Amino acid sequence: MSALNGSSSSLATSARFKTFAIVFGIATAVLYVISDMARLPLFTYHPGTGRIDLGWAPARRDEGPAMYWYGWIATAVLGAAILGILAAMLPKRVTRKIPLSLAWIVPVLLTPVLIYSLRFFWRW
Amino acid sequence: MDFVFDTISVNTFWTILLIVHGLLAVALLGALTHQAMAVVMPVRRAAGADRFVTRFRAVSGPRYANAVCVLWVITFIFGAWIYTKYRIHIRIPIEQQGFWKTQGVFELKEHLVTFGLGSLPIYWYLWKNPGNPEYDSARKWLTAWLAVICWYAFLVGHIVNNVRGFGS
Repeated sequence: MSALNGSSSSLATSARFKTFAIVFGIATAVLYVISDMARLPLFTYHPGTGRIDLGWAPARRDEGPAMYWYGWIATAVLGAAILGILAAMLPKRVTRKIPLSLAWIVPVLLTPVLIYSLRFFWRW
Repeated sequence: MDFVFDTISVNTFWTILLIVHGLLAVALLGALTHQAMAVVMPVRRAAGADRFVTRFRAVSGPRYANAVCVLWVITFIFGAWIYTKYRIHIRIPIEQQGFWKTQGVFELKEHLVTFGLGSLPIYWYLWKNPGNPEYDSARKWLTAWLAVICWYAFLVGHIVNNVRGFGS
C-alpha cells in the first residue's frame, strides 16, 4: 500500500505526467469527435452475433445492429495516449506553454459539435 | 456465464447490473457534487457553518479525487457492459416507438461520459496539487464540468429507464 501511495505521490509531482494528462484529456475529446463524425472507429462490434470487424463496418443483414461506440473510444484513447506520451517527451519550456484551461474548454466547445452530429435524432 | 444463468434468469442478471450501475452513479454523483460545490462556492468563513448548504460545500475537495476517478471508471465499465444489451433490447423498441429525442439525449450521454473519462488524469493531477494557485481555475472549472456531465448522465439514464427499462 505504501508503495502504491509512493508511486501515486510521485505521479502527482511529475511534470511529465502533467503534460501527458493535459494532452491526453484534450486529444481524447478531439479524436473522439473526429472518430465519430469521420467514421473512424478502431473496430465495429455486432452485439447480435458477437462479431468484431476492424474499422468501420455496416450492420450485416439479419444479424442485428452494429455498434461503433467502443471503437470510437478505442480510437480516441489509443490516439490520445500516443499523443500524450509524445508530448511528455518534449522539453519543459515547450510543455509549460500548454494552457491548463484547455482541459475543460476543449470538451465544452466540442459539445455543440456532438449535439450537431446527433441531428438525426432531433425530430419534432 | 452459464453458471450464473443456472441460478438467475437473463433478465434478472441484466437488471442487477443496471441497478449496480445506478448505485455507483449515485455515489459518483454525491462525491462530485460535494467536490464541485466546495470548489465553486468555497466556504470562506466560519459564520453559518451549521447550515445544511454550508456544511454540504465545506468538504475537503482533494479527499474526493481518488474516489471520483475510481467510481467514474467502474461506473463507465458497467455502463459499457450493459450497453450491448441495451443496443438490442432497449434501443430498437425505443426507435420503433419513435422516441427519437429520448434516443438522442442518451447518445449524447454516451459521448459526454467518454469526454469525462479522458479528463480524469488531468482532473486527478490538479486535485493532487491543491496548494498550487496556478491550478485553481482549471481545477474549479474542470470539476464543475465533470459534475455537469455526471448530473446529465444520471438524469438521462433515469429517463431512458422510465421509457423502457430492462424487463419491460
